[in-house]
Amino acid sequence: MGRYLSIFGTFARACLVRDMTFRANFLLECVTSLGWMSMNLAFYLLVFQFTPEIGKGTGWSREPFFAFVATGLIINSIVQALFMPSAEELTEMVRTGGLDAVLVRPLDAQFLLSMHRVDFSSFANGLVGCGLLAWALTRMDYAPPPIAWLLYPLLVVCGVAILYSFVIMLAAATILMGRNQSLYDFWFYLTNFSRYPAEIYSGPWGGPLRALCTFVIPILLVVNVPARVIAQPLVGDAWWPVVGAVAAAAAALVISRIVFQRALARYRSASS
Amino acid sequence: MHNTADATDRPSLEAVIRVEGLAKEYRVYDKPEGLGASLRGLFHRKSRAVEALRGVDLTVNRGEFVALLGPNGAGKTTFLKLLSGIITPSRGTARVLGHVPWERADDFRRRFALVMGQRNQLWWDLPAAESFRLHKEIYRLDAARFERVRDELVDLLGVRKLILQPVRELSLGERMKLELVAALLHEPEVLFLDEPTIGLDVVAQHTIHEFLRHVQAERRTTVMLTTHYMKDVAALCERVVVITHGDILYDGSLAEIVDRFTTHKIVTLDLDEPPAPGALERFGFPCEIRGPQVVMRIDRSRIADVLPEILRGAGVRDVSVEDVPLEEIVAGLFRSGRTRPAEPAEATA
Repeated sequence: MGRYLSIFGTFARACLVRDMTFRANFLLECVTSLGWMSMNLAFYLLVFQFTPEIGKGTGWSREPFFAFVATGLIINSIVQALFMPSAEELTEMVRTGGLDAVLVRPLDAQFLLSMHRVDFSSFANGLVGCGLLAWALTRMDYAPPPIAWLLYPLLVVCGVAILYSFVIMLAAATILMGRNQSLYDFWFYLTNFSRYPAEIYSGPWGGPLRALCTFVIPILLVVNVPARVIAQPLVGDAWWPVVGAVAAAAAALVISRIVFQRALARYRSASS
Repeated sequence: MHNTADATDRPSLEAVIRVEGLAKEYRVYDKPEGLGASLRGLFHRKSRAVEALRGVDLTVNRGEFVALLGPNGAGKTTFLKLLSGIITPSRGTARVLGHVPWERADDFRRRFALVMGQRNQLWWDLPAAESFRLHKEIYRLDAARFERVRDELVDLLGVRKLILQPVRELSLGERMKLELVAALLHEPEVLFLDEPTIGLDVVAQHTIHEFLRHVQAERRTTVMLTTHYMKDVAALCERVVVITHGDILYDGSLAEIVDRFTTHKIVTLDLDEPPAPGALERFGFPCEIRGPQVVMRIDRSRIADVLPEILRGAGVRDVSVEDVPLEEIVAGLFRSGRTRPAEPAEATA
């Protein structure tokens, strides 16, 4: 474990050195990312000009909802910073045979392929997310109990683990298919579902969609569960999603690992 | 197969690579031409099996420097990829350093290295020193050993000044030297080199030859090299394996390949004056006449008799006798292998 941390540290250091080499590009990425996030926040502020709550009786009034948004920002920034750059590069590595160099290293290939690039500019959103969370929590009528503070980081990690598992399965698909850009687009559309409270998925269409995105592809657990734990009281059956998120994260990690290993066994490499 | 040197010839040596019946079959899809055919291809695709390697047997002993020769698409790189565990075979067995390569055990991967001349393994935007540092972590090298080996390698290749320069700013030759340093930092017992001198100038080629010779001799590294440059082979390899269409066509010493597959020698004469038409035909075949300079092909069995006669007869100022260039011999071997039929099995999906 220590060795893997040390290697990850070397990767992170190298990426930081590279980012600093291309400072203008790094700053532009930060600005672009923060600009996109600011527009989203402005949009939600506009929405709350017309309604005090998203869904009647859901508990997602303005401040709790911004705690939800902040949680989404934190989780997505971790995934975008640590895993997505490597996953996006994988298509090119499979197509050109660059993956060969990874497979001859005495290290876990999944680790090497999913964590060899770190995009530090994506952490900017996470930092703003932390600030937004602090702002929302200080303005809420509800003060989260100590158990919520303990569960929150754990559930954020579970959310990251679920998204990471999706990334790994897409990587496996890339290895099998050789090229897989459309699936990455699909991943982006799918993760869009995680950006909103689960309660909005109701009615004849929303209900089945919610069930699908909770029990089959547990994307709705990613942000909803930690956000609910920190922003709303843990009463009644509120514990079940917590258990579900932990179980879903564990299952997703195991399944994605199996799928990835099988894909690697079928890797064809590219002609030289 | 004109097999002359396999494991049975070297019973007392330690076999580092042992391959039996190794085969790799790929299924490739035919891409039809035209929009209509492409649309039909969405629903009904024609595929065929391509045998990149057809049941190869080979044993390589510790410390050998083996050249793997063959025309493009012969299966050389596929062979190296199988031996380094990058891909899995369709059938057959292989053991490298006692391990099945495609099981990708860490203990195995720590003991070999693969360098591909057409692929860059160093971080492109960063100095090579950063990639070396990563290698130190990946291969768990202690600091003292890492520094000793790195310094030795960079000094041997004369690239000490380059390790702090971003890789993207280096020339192809400089990059390849640093790739070799990176590959050898963990002192691998087996080194797979896939066209390491491709595109390099003669000076860089020579430096790399000297370096590889030195490293192999010092460490008794087992090296398998694929190349299209016969200079690499002549400079480095005592054993040559020729592959065509996925089969081993020849496995033997470099000296033997010349003896076995050439029937004549090249004799270059520098005469006092241009020869009279037809004057030299009785000795052999004059393949090039440029004024008083004549290049002839003379049957090897006759050379001892013919040469004194030539020297006695005409005014010969200078004479040189050489073997047929290795490129020509190997090209002849490739052509003979090309006659083997390829029988792809067709299927649809």
